[in-house]
Parts: sequence; C-alpha cells; structure tokens
Amino acid sequence: MGVNISAPYIYVCTRMRMRKSKLLPKEEYQRMLNMSVSEITRIVGESEYKQEIDELGTTFKGIDLIEVALSWNLAKEYQKIQEITPGTLKQFTQVYLRRWDIQNVLTILRGKMQGVPSGKIKEILVPAGSLDKVALDRMLTEESPDRIIEMLKDHRMFPVLTREYPLAKESGSFSHMENELYKHLYANIINDAKSGVKGGASFLAYIQLEIDIKNVKTLFRLRADKVDEEAREMFIPGGSLSLADFASLNAIKDLNEFIDMIRANISNDTLHVLLDEVKTKKGGVQYIEARLTRVQLEQMEKMSKRNPFSIHPILVYLEKKKYEVFNLRALARGKESQLPSEKIVDYLVM
Amino acid sequence: MAAEAVIAAVDVGMSVEQIAASQVGMKAIGAGLAVGLTGIGTGVAEMGIGAAAVGAIAENKDFFGLGLLFTVIPETIVIFGLVVGLLLLFL
Repeated sequence: MGVNISAPYIYVCTRMRMRKSKLLPKEEYQRMLNMSVSEITRIVGESEYKQEIDELGTTFKGIDLIEVALSWNLAKEYQKIQEITPGTLKQFTQVYLRRWDIQNVLTILRGKMQGVPSGKIKEILVPAGSLDKVALDRMLTEESPDRIIEMLKDHRMFPVLTREYPLAKESGSFSHMENELYKHLYANIINDAKSGVKGGASFLAYIQLEIDIKNVKTLFRLRADKVDEEAREMFIPGGSLSLADFASLNAIKDLNEFIDMIRANISNDTLHVLLDEVKTKKGGVQYIEARLTRVQLEQMEKMSKRNPFSIHPILVYLEKKKYEVFNLRALARGKESQLPSEKIVDYLVM
Repeated sequence: MAAEAVIAAVDVGMSVEQIAASQVGMKAIGAGLAVGLTGIGTGVAEMGIGAAAVGAIAENKDFFGLGLLFTVIPETIVIFGLVVGLLLLFL
C-alpha cells in the first residue's frame, strides 16, 4: 500500500481528522432522544449546521427545516472536500461520490412518475456527485421521465438507464433499475481502483469492505422479509462472496448455521464479534443493519490508522458525516411521527 | 606531531604553510556540511509538521499558536548544526 508523505496528503488528511472530531458524539444523540423536534432543531442550529438553519429558517418550518438544512450541509461539505483534496485523492473522492448521482436521478424519476411537485423533490436532493445543482435543476424542469433520461446522454450511467427504463416504466417500480445501477457503479469503481493509479490498492480495500457489508446486510434483510425470488439480483459482485456463496447463504434457514457460514466466508474480526452477538441476542433487522454499518465504520477507522496519509481518512470522514446526517434525520422523523425512543435508537448508527 | 606533519609534507611535496591552509579549508567544509545537512534535515522534518499544522489551523484557528510551536521544533536540529559549524571555525 505504501506510505505517502507528500505535504498535500498530510494537509488534507489532517483537515479530515479535525472535521471528524467535530462530529456529534454518541452522548449527544442520547440526549436528543428525549427532546422534541423544535429542541432538536435548536441543538442542530447551534452546531456545524448553524449557517444552513439560519439561511433556511425563514422559508421552512419544523421537520422540513431540519431535513433541508441537513441535505444542504451534506452537499456543501462534500463539494468543499472535493475542492481541497489533491491529485489522485480527488479522483478517488469523486469516484466515491458518484453514488449520489444514482440517488438523485432515481429520486427525480420516482418523484416525476408520482407527480410530486419539483420544489418538493428538490428539497431531498443532495447535489454531491458529478451532477451539480445546475444540472439537477435543469432535470427538475422537465416533466417527462423520458426527457430526463435523454438529458443524461453523456453520463456514465446512461447505458444502464436506457436499458432498464422501459421495464421500470411498465412495472412502475424502479427497484430493479436501482440494483442494476449500483452493480454498474461498483463494477466501474473496481475498474478505476485497479487501473494502476497510485493509492488504488487502499481504495480497492475499502470498496471490497463496503461490498461485503452491503451483501451481508442484504442477506439479513432477505431473511427478515422472507423473499427468495429476487435474491440473486440484489447481489453485488466484487467482494469476498461469490454469487454461488450468496445464493447458498440465502437458502440456509437456520440462523446459527447461516451466521457460521458468513463467518467462514468473510474474514473480518469486528464482523465476527457482531455475528456472535446476533447469535445470542435477538434484535430487529434495523438494529442489525445499524450495527453492521458500525462494523464497517470501525473497520474503516482501523484502515485509516494503518494508512494515515491515503484515501482512507477522507473516506472515514465522508461516511461518518453521511451517517451523522442519517441519524439526525432519523431522530427528527422518528420524533415527528411520535415513535418511542427505544424504537428510534435501533435506526441510529452510533 | 609537527615532525610527522613535516615528514608527511615532504612525502607529498607540501610545505607547512600549505598544510595549515588546507586544515582551515577542511574546517570550513566541515562547518558548511554541518549547517547544510542539518538544514535539509530540518526542512524534511518541518514539511510534515507544517502541512499538518496548516491543515489543523484551517479547521480551527485556535491551533495557530500550538501549530507554530510544533512546526519550529525541528529548527533545533539546524541550530545544533550551526553551533557545530561555529565551534569548528572559531575554536
């Protein structure tokens, strides 16, 4: 993996560590669990999100204010990081952020299909990928999904979009298209990481970890939902599991056997500890998913300590920031729909 | 010592004055190396610390004092070199 000690790498990795230290600590979430939406808004408004809350305070109220402020802050943060990262780190950061393109395009397509007004769709977009605010705004002005797809003619995901769109339009569901887009994305990312660029190996290690965790999450979710037919479609290649492993894991009915098989297939100490815990303690699928995310973050944290001046410290921050926003959104949404705190806590990654 | 030097000088065909002058020259080269090499060492050491310090200051201005202090700590290396250089030249 090689140690890189050039000054720009040290500079940007230190900035990321400083930013990471400013993220909300676990205790803060626990305190927020006992608060109302307006109190949460106040706390959020006093933290790193102050600027967004102040700017949007006049246009939005209550839960909408938090949601929009969080999305704006996340997008701003991601744009800023792309500006300050040097050389190949910038390239890898942009590759990592490409997933937001999928999310934004799918949000727009879904919104348009269901006739949601553009203003409402715009509130939940996160312009962090290669499609910036201007491009997304232009897409929002179009009424028909066909035209929106046409606008993406020069984009990397266009071949998959044109291939899958007729089917999605017919069935009215974009889930198959979403799976295909993500598979395409991961295949592309792996290609980029393997292209021999300096630092590609550390990036590849992260991507493989992410794919592994994603596949394990899918397996747990499939078990909970008891759906078998589409299992193969949801598998993402490139990690430790092969399609055959995935299918055979999905076919196992007994939980203990299932967990032992995952242990045998994926070597990751933090994951093994969690799997042992799941064996003895029953938890909902939401809880397991949040814990799996935690495993991923812990593993990334370890990797970033092993390679202190690589893409890892940047990725750790990007991921942790994303989950901070997810957590705050889950908290606010949960409180809004008056869920009990014990239920909300299962959704939080902390 | 002097006798040996004379013999050596006779061997290579140098006079006592020439030997004295060459000793001064060698001292000057030693002093130059002492300051020059430690200067490079300091530069390398300060590169990482400086980059990290600027990164930290960019995020939080309160780190300015501490960052500056840590950045100039490797400066001691070049000061050692300077001291050695001065000792060589003036003692």
